[in-house]
Amino acid sequence: MPEYFAGIDIGSTMTKAVILSDRIIAFVIGPTGPEQRRLADKVMEELLDKADLPLKALTYIISTGYGRINVPFADKQVTEISCHAKGVVFLFPGARTIIDIGGQDSKGITIDATGRTTNFIMNDKCAAGSGRFVEVIADSLGIDLDRVGDISIQSNSPAQISNICTIWAQQEVAARLAEGTPVPDLLAGVHRSLADRVVRMVKRLKILPDVIFTGGGAKNKGLVQALEEYLDAKILVPPEPLITGALGAALLGKEIFHRAVSKNQLLETKPRRLETIQIL
Amino acid sequence: MAEEQRKPKKRMTATKAAASIGPMVKEFITGTNRARAEGKRKLAYTFIVCHHEEILRAMDVLPVWTENFAGICGVKRAAERFLQKAESLGFSRSLCTYALCGLGFDQWREELGEMPPDAPWGGQARPDFMISSGQILCDPRTKWYQAAQQFMPDVPIYNIDLPHPLFDPKKDHREVWGYYHKYIVDQLRGLVSFVEEQTGKKMDYDRLRELVALSDRTWNLVHETYELRQAVPCPMGTGDAMNTMVPLCFMMATQEAYDFYVNLKQELEEKIARGEGEVEDEKYRLLWGGGLPAWYALNDFNYLNSKGASFPAETTYRMVVPIYEMDIPETDDPIEHIAWKWLGYWTHWYDKARNRPGSEPDVERLIEYIENYKIDGVVMHLAFSCRTWHVGLIWQLHQLAKIYRPIPVLMLGGNGKGDKVQRELPSLILESDIIDITSYSEMDTRNKIDAFIETLESVRQTKAA
Ligand code: SF4
Repeated sequence: MPEYFAGIDIGSTMTKAVILSDRIIAFVIGPTGPEQRRLADKVMEELLDKADLPLKALTYIISTGYGRINVPFADKQVTEISCHAKGVVFLFPGARTIIDIGGQDSKGITIDATGRTTNFIMNDKCAAGSGRFVEVIADSLGIDLDRVGDISIQSNSPAQISNICTIWAQQEVAARLAEGTPVPDLLAGVHRSLADRVVRMVKRLKILPDVIFTGGGAKNKGLVQALEEYLDAKILVPPEPLITGALGAALLGKEIFHRAVSKNQLLETKPRRLETIQIL
Repeated sequence: MAEEQRKPKKRMTATKAAASIGPMVKEFITGTNRARAEGKRKLAYTFIVCHHEEILRAMDVLPVWTENFAGICGVKRAAERFLQKAESLGFSRSLCTYALCGLGFDQWREELGEMPPDAPWGGQARPDFMISSGQILCDPRTKWYQAAQQFMPDVPIYNIDLPHPLFDPKKDHREVWGYYHKYIVDQLRGLVSFVEEQTGKKMDYDRLRELVALSDRTWNLVHETYELRQAVPCPMGTGDAMNTMVPLCFMMATQEAYDFYVNLKQELEEKIARGEGEVEDEKYRLLWGGGLPAWYALNDFNYLNSKGASFPAETTYRMVVPIYEMDIPETDDPIEHIAWKWLGYWTHWYDKARNRPGSEPDVERLIEYIENYKIDGVVMHLAFSCRTWHVGLIWQLHQLAKIYRPIPVLMLGGNGKGDKVQRELPSLILESDIIDITSYSEMDTRNKIDAFIETLESVRQTKAA
């Protein structure tokens, strides 16, 4: 009977889930809402649907991300740092540095040749260091988030935008727009500003190639370009940069399960039940 | 901010000695208020780590440690209204928050003519004079009391300048430290004259000599006591040391401080004999590699303990070596001795750093503790508002990783076989502030701690014999 492992990553903005056997069977990505327990159930239901599997077919489930404790059916919780490292090394065996820019935080992780985390750094205090920075600006310019990357790479002369505070930057963009600065230059400026802030943070670590960029931010070509410029290094992006954490969680589950089997140990698992949770 | 975040949770201590500190601090804060009311002794605002408490105590001056009071406001999560007060007076929030808290409090007390409502532990007593100190990086130690004089124009200030030779890998600091010594001695003699003037008493040099000797004995005893923490499992961690620092920072030159460490030493020896550690199942031994703690979040030490992490050593609030091992000239003059002790303290790691290319004294200190205390990882706290102790912490970690790789691990080599390589220690950088709770998020901090523990565990698994 094939073994299936699931990873569910409840991030601050998006929830991602992956089912894995000897390859990725299915994955889903959905927005994280305020009621994370209910959402975890919903995402898992959708994932099982996609994989055409019943919940009880899952051998081991690991949850990760900020909301990892709110997944009632997860057998174990692991932080997103370990899971990202695992997932990225699976996709890029030569990876030594990971930069992740998510909805509300950003992080840098260094890994050694065995794929183990050696160090990490996280920014969790300020929207100006996260994907939210670009989101707010895109919103105020009335541009779809999916398009900001393509628009910004058309710029030849990126504007100078401050990165101290998202609200200031928003006002600065509005003022520049009124002065007639073209939108591609504004967006390129915003990406450079965010890249500058993130690179300052990750430079506290020892950055070695290959550098892998994950998280929602990695879908933005303009941000990839700006990061490459500030880091002065080539950056690799996974085909689906949002799911590396969930993928790593599933891989870790597989590893834990096989280790237990090889030692003849019994692994405790949670009841395979998706509860409907009432919200008052 | 959630009400939950405001409420301080009591930290569990590993030693009885650490648990006894709260009432002790409360007593010396209320003691200063009693003394103020009685009016018999003079009260002086002043700063820790200035090596001048013997002079004050020999002249019966009661020190009011302004950093301590701000820290207490932090521990009790009661600093915010004083910080806001200072901000409303036009002081920037990015200044040292101890200073802001003190200034907000002082202005409020002076405005009311009595203690602000619900002042922690009865509040901070009004001083008769203030002793500031010029130290290499800490500008608040000079500017804080000058600013406070706006609200207390009748309270005089005396500033003692306490420099030390900066590290130069190519030069022996002993070539110049005689000049520094002469300068510091002049500064301290100036302090004696100032206090004589303020108290109307003459310095009793025999008493000063006795107090300096008592301080030296306490200094040596603290060192010997803390060295006991090298034991595996470690009997007392940094969480407790953030309490047991009280006598060494605020009560030197008192018999009470000496007795405290006699008891602590005995308690640790007993715990070691019973094989009792700070945590039940010690898995990781961590070094608090710098930074003052987030005083309102000392519970994070308990959280780390709950994961099997113990803290046998910290670079914050401790001696360097016993006086008898310090390479300083001997003298019978107590003032000259204090000045040498000051110089010996700051230059202690200079020789070692000169002998290791690319090193620095602060990095040598980390290496010494890592080796002596069998450390598995380093935790640092970057408190945004105190530049003095926090500038350069990240740089120290970088240098450490560059010049010192103490962990042998097995890595898969190109030939598919496990190769033994040396790697650096994992580190965790926490970011918030000493007392400004708005800079802190428990959830984020604990998420970082969880990730750090996983990193330590993964290193443990690849550790080669
Ligand atoms: S800046 Fe740091 S050392 Fe100076 S007074 Fe403030 S907390 Fe103390």
